[in-house]
Amino acid sequence: MVKKHGRRVDVLAKITGKAQYTNDLSFPHMLYATTVRCPHPHAKIISIEREQAEQYPGVVMVITADNIPGIPSQYKQKPILVPEVVRYEGEGVALVVANSKVVASEAAKLVKVIYEELPAVTSSEAALKQDAQKIYDDGNLLCKYKGGKGNVEEGFLMADYIFEKEYRTQRVDHTPLETEAAVAVPTTEGITVYAPTNDAYKARLLIAETLGLRENQVRFITPAIGGSFGAKNYDAGLLGSRAALAAVLTGKPVKMVFTREESIIEGTKRHPYICKYKVGVTKAGRITAMEIDLIGDGGAYLSKSHPVATRTLIEASGPYNIDNVKSNVTLAFTNNTYSDAMRGFGSPQVDFASEVLLDEIACEMGFDPLEFKKMNHLKENDISGVGQVMTDVSLGKCLDEAQKASNWKERKEEIAIERKKGGSKVKGIGFALLHRGEAFGAAGQGIDTAEVQLLVNNDGGITILSSMADVGMGGHTMMVNVIMETLGVKRERIVMAPVDTQYVPNSGPSSATRGTMVIGNAARLAAEEVKEKLAAIAADVLGVLKEELIFNNEQIYSPGKADEHVNYQDMINEIFARGQTPSGRGWYTVSGLAWDRANGFGEAYLSYAYGAAVTEVEVDLETGQVSVDKFIAVHDVGHAFDKNEVIGQINGGVSMAVGMALFEDVDSKKGHIKNTNFDKYLIPTSLDMPEMNSIVVEVPTKTGPFGARGLGEPTACTAAPAIINAIYDATGIRIRELPASLETMMQELKNSRNKTGLN
Amino acid sequence: MFKYDYLRPASVKEACELLALHGDRAKIIAGGTDLMVQIRDEDKKWANIEYVIDIGHLKEMKYIKEDGDSICIGALSSHTDIVKSGILQKYVPFFCEASSTVGSPQIRNMGTIGGSIGNASPASDPVPPLIALDAEVKIVGTSGERIVSLKSIFANSYKTTLKVDEIITEVSFTKMPTEAKSVFLKLGRRKALAISRMNVGVIVVVDSDGVVSDIRIAPGCIFATPDRVSVAEDVLIGKVPTRELLVEAGKKVSDEMINRTGIRPSTEFKKPAIESLTTRALSQALEVE
Amino acid sequence: MNKINVNMIVNGEAVSVTVEPNARLLDTLRDNLELTGTKEGCGVGECGACTVIVNGEAVNSCMLLAASMEGKVIETIEGLAGENGELHILQEKFVEHSALQCGFCTPGFVMSSKAFLDANDNPTREEIKTAISGNLCRCTGYSQIIDAVEDAAKDYYVYDVCRIKK
Repeated sequence: MVKKHGRRVDVLAKITGKAQYTNDLSFPHMLYATTVRCPHPHAKIISIEREQAEQYPGVVMVITADNIPGIPSQYKQKPILVPEVVRYEGEGVALVVANSKVVASEAAKLVKVIYEELPAVTSSEAALKQDAQKIYDDGNLLCKYKGGKGNVEEGFLMADYIFEKEYRTQRVDHTPLETEAAVAVPTTEGITVYAPTNDAYKARLLIAETLGLRENQVRFITPAIGGSFGAKNYDAGLLGSRAALAAVLTGKPVKMVFTREESIIEGTKRHPYICKYKVGVTKAGRITAMEIDLIGDGGAYLSKSHPVATRTLIEASGPYNIDNVKSNVTLAFTNNTYSDAMRGFGSPQVDFASEVLLDEIACEMGFDPLEFKKMNHLKENDISGVGQVMTDVSLGKCLDEAQKASNWKERKEEIAIERKKGGSKVKGIGFALLHRGEAFGAAGQGIDTAEVQLLVNNDGGITILSSMADVGMGGHTMMVNVIMETLGVKRERIVMAPVDTQYVPNSGPSSATRGTMVIGNAARLAAEEVKEKLAAIAADVLGVLKEELIFNNEQIYSPGKADEHVNYQDMINEIFARGQTPSGRGWYTVSGLAWDRANGFGEAYLSYAYGAAVTEVEVDLETGQVSVDKFIAVHDVGHAFDKNEVIGQINGGVSMAVGMALFEDVDSKKGHIKNTNFDKYLIPTSLDMPEMNSIVVEVPTKTGPFGARGLGEPTACTAAPAIINAIYDATGIRIRELPASLETMMQELKNSRNKTGLN
Repeated sequence: MFKYDYLRPASVKEACELLALHGDRAKIIAGGTDLMVQIRDEDKKWANIEYVIDIGHLKEMKYIKEDGDSICIGALSSHTDIVKSGILQKYVPFFCEASSTVGSPQIRNMGTIGGSIGNASPASDPVPPLIALDAEVKIVGTSGERIVSLKSIFANSYKTTLKVDEIITEVSFTKMPTEAKSVFLKLGRRKALAISRMNVGVIVVVDSDGVVSDIRIAPGCIFATPDRVSVAEDVLIGKVPTRELLVEAGKKVSDEMINRTGIRPSTEFKKPAIESLTTRALSQALEVE
Repeated sequence: MNKINVNMIVNGEAVSVTVEPNARLLDTLRDNLELTGTKEGCGVGECGACTVIVNGEAVNSCMLLAASMEGKVIETIEGLAGENGELHILQEKFVEHSALQCGFCTPGFVMSSKAFLDANDNPTREEIKTAISGNLCRCTGYSQIIDAVEDAAKDYYVYDVCRIKK
């Protein structure tokens, strides 16, 4: 059942240009701050000379780490301003505060910093060598985890074939259209900071630490957010802290907005991964063992590398039923921009590897890739690669939908026949399957919580209090829908309070696809509390058990009797008349996961999202150009609150992955990023996108609100492997390192011609 | 951030006088699509800039007209004007095609043909077709106007031979016979907002015996300054085209690239790519499979 | 540097502003005229978030000098809705088709689409894709934006005529 509850809560403001993003705010006497950046990837700061910049007309102050009243950062986390050692090129070492943007950036050039350059380590493999230059005193190992089940050695013995493959993914930038920004306004109580972030409470904590204030002395307000995809977590806290620091020290409001270049130079990136696999398969096509070694580049600071590593460890064996799995993941510190979660928290990297891997095995053994995956994928109550019993598994349903919509077998044959006719442009078809753990699960610190409050007024209006950031995914609308469905009230009654840490409770970050599952459940629980209060009175009036009441259409009905009902508003009035409040509070906790961290075994996530994809591509054999023509994306969302919005999420996730597959690549040799704006860091345009067919499957889970599953991140996981598999189908060349750029394609096409002796 | 004064001359003549007066401290702006980016990036080229001379409003330089055997295009014609021009669509569709691949709709609305030429980027899209057409440019300076071949004004990548007080006011070329076939092909990293990784404009005329009587091959992105490749044209001129000859012509283009620019790390990609692109453009123009 | 006085029509109203010679149209709209609906995403004409309409054509306001706008007619997102707040047909269709998520690129897309439909109200889907190809969106994957413009085109002529009559 697909319900459409109408438009998203923020849509009118956004479509009319009235939505206020951080850069749209201004305050009287506002100053502007700019960051002074280090031009070396690894260097010790010897001295910082401020005088010349301070004397520049219009400059109010030059700030360095020495001026920070609190701490520049927690251990191994990125500092607000670098106190001693710069660990990647472009890090901030000072701030210049001035009466205009232009003056601040002009004066920033006058801050003279003397550095002692240190050797830089710019790949994870180099960083992990014994004699590598140390980025931290205790070395370059960021983390190491192991996981699995069974015994792979025995599994390999049972196999008829052994495959060994290696895959590499690149450094990708989130590039939300709005760059990082912050405005800080000093107040008598402390400071108010406006910034786009996916986690207001965490940003507030970072700012409080920087300033040495209690958390509630920092009022953090989130204006409209122009996209995040994981970018506006640490980076938002960082910019918020810089602006707050400047505001506190000058006593004036301060605005900071990154240019696109600054955003790409200093902002977090998706972890580049090297994924090595050894797989045992029987003649019949049954996978008996999989051994996985993952190496990731964490960049210069910790950020959320631990949970990313854990997730990749858990998901690297793919959505497959394999008796023996052994995985290792090692993340290294390097002198690159720090890595952090980007739409998928590590999933896109290992999904690319595992989905191309199984395609390769199928093709080499003579199986149809889709059939091969169908044979091996997880079914209800199967055991995952880390020993979890999998329930509410809808892989079969997703695969069937993709197979049906693409007419897989016939279409594959048709294309093959077309290809035999020759020509310089050839078509191919590719498939990918997906499973993905929801919320933080075992990858977090074991506990994942959210609080949501509902303020119910005398007139029955409901205000949602929650710190949830709507980074664009429609999370606020999701909450409205949950409350409407729970209470059976009209949409018009519900409004979303501004995200302001002084008033709204902590709902946790909009990340890890936890919004619907964790925050949605907190909203549901808050609505349940309101419902409980209404029901208590309604049951009295109607003379039925309160558990049996039906909430719909602004009425509360006796079960099975359409004419016996009371009115929602009357019940609200009655609650107030009795001197009570109808307001409600919801607190949701994901806990009790039996996860053995030391051995990487057990219940990794409370629930999973599933999906499948089929794509058709066309490859120009003479120029290496790849065109993605069609894309079928099937996602099980458990319960669609608004189908149009769901489809929008899917299309958007696919577009990011098209970019990852074909051209997105932060060009950062030796730690220096060359492509720092949209003219060289290329993301897909309208003409690069395939004709989309997004299919919504609704197999409810026991855990999500109304059975809903999260969707944001799973959508960005299938396109890269599906496209790479389709390129193989078209050309017989196998891209194992992303992206499939023009140059890579030409090289591979040439290699394959040399190999086959054809010209 | 560069600081400069804004000057708004009332005529081309006045603009030239301002250029003569301020020398390399002044820079002409028309559409702004190149200059505004270079100024924002604080390109060393404009480190001396003190004046920006805006000629964008000089309507007398915005026209596309037939003049006997010639077609004349005012330098302030935007790429969009060129794409939409019935005259150009009729006589030189490959020039329209090339102009339609510049940047984005917004950039095509702002950017001018005079600016594209003056910027002298080796990756320009509209320039190769104009080179294939043996186009000429009218250049106006304080001492009057001169007409020279388009090819001759390119000194190097991003450098022209224009004197300090000169402005390009018009580009013109002789109409090709109506039976001429022209093709422009571009290879970019994505399908819009893409700077050419490689492009090529070709025009061919085939006589009634099926013999190639005129041929121009003008590749982009592979030379420091744009040029026709006569050694490649020679392969086909006076011949009945065959697949083999087309491939041979493509190879001559890549040979010429290596002759002129040497072997570079990018050659491994560029060599086969420009060969394929040239061969493909010729095969489309000559309708040879 | 000498400041420049510029007279232009913005969203139907004559305005006169004094600008720095190196000020961009984008800065003037946002800072002087407080029309902050027009956004900056790259500053180099590659993302289209700053798209406005000048004399009927979609342009990147980050690449135009404000000083060069003398006598020009400029339309921004703020000028689209009617006097009583009723949405422009493109805005309605964007809403109906869920064609926006974070919304940051949205004003630019709407302005590109408006300039396009003003000149061509019977477009093909491919023409629409090209018309918005100078605008980057990281959220939607473009499909629903194309749907919205396609749908708006169906009623655009009638809509336009009615609006002009009003």
